Amino acid sequence: MTESQIIVVQGLTYQYRQTSRPVLQDIDLEISRNDYLLITGRSGSGKSTLCRTFNGLIPHFYGGVLTGDVFVAGTAVRQTSVTALFNQVAMVFQNPDAQLFCRTVEQEIVFGLESLGLPRRAIEDRLCEALDQAGIAALRRRDPQTLSGGEKHLVLIAALLALRPQVIVLDEPFANLDPANVLQVRRLLSDLHAKGCGIVLCEHRLARAAPDATRVVVIHEGQIAADGDPHHILARAETDWGLEIPLANRVGASLGLAPAPRTIEDLQSIPPHATLIEALEPRLPEPVDHQDERPAVDVDHLCCHLAGRSILADISFKLYPGECIAVVGANGAGKTTLLRHLIGLQRPTNGRIRIKGHDTARIPISDLARDVGLAFQNPDNQFFRLTVDQEIRVGPETLGTPDNAWIEELMALFHLEIVRSRAPYRLRGGEKKRVAFASALASRPTVLALDEPTAGQDFEFRRNLRALLRQMQARGQAIIIVTHDLTFAERTAGRWLLMAGGRLLADGVPDRIMADPDLMTRAGLETTDRFRLTQLWRPKDSRV
Amino acid sequence: MFDPRTKLLLTLAYGTLIALTRKPEWLLAEWSTLVVGIVVLGQLKPYLRWLAMLIPMALFFGGVTWWTTDRATGQAAAMSLMAITTTFFGFFASTEPEDLGNSLVHAGLPFPVAFVMTAAMQFAPVIGRKARAIIEAQQARGIALKPGWRALRNYPALLTPLLIQSFQMADALAEAMEARGFGRSGRTFRKVYHMRILDWLAVIAGWGSIALVLRYFAR
Repeated sequence: MTESQIIVVQGLTYQYRQTSRPVLQDIDLEISRNDYLLITGRSGSGKSTLCRTFNGLIPHFYGGVLTGDVFVAGTAVRQTSVTALFNQVAMVFQNPDAQLFCRTVEQEIVFGLESLGLPRRAIEDRLCEALDQAGIAALRRRDPQTLSGGEKHLVLIAALLALRPQVIVLDEPFANLDPANVLQVRRLLSDLHAKGCGIVLCEHRLARAAPDATRVVVIHEGQIAADGDPHHILARAETDWGLEIPLANRVGASLGLAPAPRTIEDLQSIPPHATLIEALEPRLPEPVDHQDERPAVDVDHLCCHLAGRSILADISFKLYPGECIAVVGANGAGKTTLLRHLIGLQRPTNGRIRIKGHDTARIPISDLARDVGLAFQNPDNQFFRLTVDQEIRVGPETLGTPDNAWIEELMALFHLEIVRSRAPYRLRGGEKKRVAFASALASRPTVLALDEPTAGQDFEFRRNLRALLRQMQARGQAIIIVTHDLTFAERTAGRWLLMAGGRLLADGVPDRIMADPDLMTRAGLETTDRFRLTQLWRPKDSRV
Repeated sequence: MFDPRTKLLLTLAYGTLIALTRKPEWLLAEWSTLVVGIVVLGQLKPYLRWLAMLIPMALFFGGVTWWTTDRATGQAAAMSLMAITTTFFGFFASTEPEDLGNSLVHAGLPFPVAFVMTAAMQFAPVIGRKARAIIEAQQARGIALKPGWRALRNYPALLTPLLIQSFQMADALAEAMEARGFGRSGRTFRKVYHMRILDWLAVIAGWGSIALVLRYFAR
């Protein structure tokens, strides 16, 4: 073990108490303070489990059967308690809400320092240092639960920074963040790495995580499938790893470029290969022609004021049968509030919403639920029946519209036959989402509305969802998706509504919207890799 | 100004006074004094919101007492409930739960017990937000969950996900606390809590005045 090596994993195999086979098998890994390590792999591959062995949460907190060894700074974690390791290997988990348990940001940071038993003077010094380093000094007296997703992550990182750990481990920190927040967290992590703190990032969204990493480990079915330099790994990525390799790396691999490009901008000096983009990227959806058709949804000058604040201002658009539109914008743009209006959870202060021509102002939610199938971001909020089959039937039974044939069709369409007798809570993340989408469609609504359907989901889920939505669209289903995942949005929807600050900034074809840098800046969004490469390789006079 | 323990002891003293007062006009005076204090603390708006929830409960409690005893006792019971809960509202409006917990640790309460108490207060609004999100998710499927008899049979649609998610959150919280050194021995505290002479004087004066009032007036 060299001096800079902090974590050494030797022949690690681990099985949870309630599972029948090991989640991790024969893992050998060394992590040093110089690493900015990206651990990646599809959902359920064992990434998070591996991270929990680094600070002893596995086996001390979870139990289970562990063979092999994990050493932190030369000490075997099996023989050490979690509280003895917490200031060496600090960990940020996926759900920030459950980790922020103090009343103010500064109390959150101080908690770990008090656990360490530091004197008051040292606590004050480290508190100020961590607040400054994370750039959150202005938030010190705020209640952490009232902060944005990105700010919550910064607070958590600051709370760990104050402990001066040798390595910080983050489990999917970008899952629910918009591009601006992702950038903020990435900058902080790069700063910390430059100052000598090891970073271990668990993430399957490679386009966001790979550019900063100095090393990538791919976990596939509980084993290390690859370990090394990000460019080499991403250039030879196997398709069965279930990862979406960033476009720049795919282009680099196709053209045999050396050194391998890290970002789209690295491809600037390469002669254009316009047909390569078509070969590497999925076909984009066309805008739907809807001449003379009655809109499924007609939103007319919608305004919403809450507690004296304007939440939505003058929103107008129409959604037609067989059309899929994406409402895109940063966190807090008003996207979800717009969806809530469609189903009557929020009522317009001014303006009108018509569903199939009927003004929804006086229609109760229970009736609107027949026409609008809404699936919220967190499917756990709706599950209360014992099986998937019962869960999907809840809506039609409540609304008095049971249709066995349609339920069976949905089961097949969403690949749920195999889990129909299982408890919804016991399913994996992607399966839960599919149950929620099938439930939303169970009453044959006119409109399917999905709130951040891809948040925290891996490449396979996103690809399958895209295919499903195309099938639904072909059957004439009107679909509205709220998302800040622009890559998914451009591959799924032929039309975007761009929102910021409760206003509709643009309504149109994705490429037209992304071509306006002013609009994108105001919305706090970044253009997609595909769009940037298309623009980069297009002759200057023909750029959008 | 005062140590949180002083505030707690004074709150208990005032609560005792209210609990032992029988005359409705005295109870009204005690409650009005508290309301003045709440206005001074700048907490009138949250207090009025809280009062809106409390009044039906107080009316029910007073009504049942009136029915089983007499009108004056019923009035006093309703007023007592309002005034006692207002006392504790004032206490929590002026005292950070963490300050209270940490000061009790200084007084000998084990840290895990004090922490559980403060964390419970911190997570009450989080669970409240979760409940609202569940109600909306179910309403979006046509399941009525607005208060009322008709919604009663649908309550499993609220309670099942809420219970399961509360347990999941408790697990995640325990894991996060463990990873931040909860339970490690030798804990220190950023703030130091001392019962100064002023605190002791306030406690003695508070309890003394209440004993006098009870002895000569309120009963």
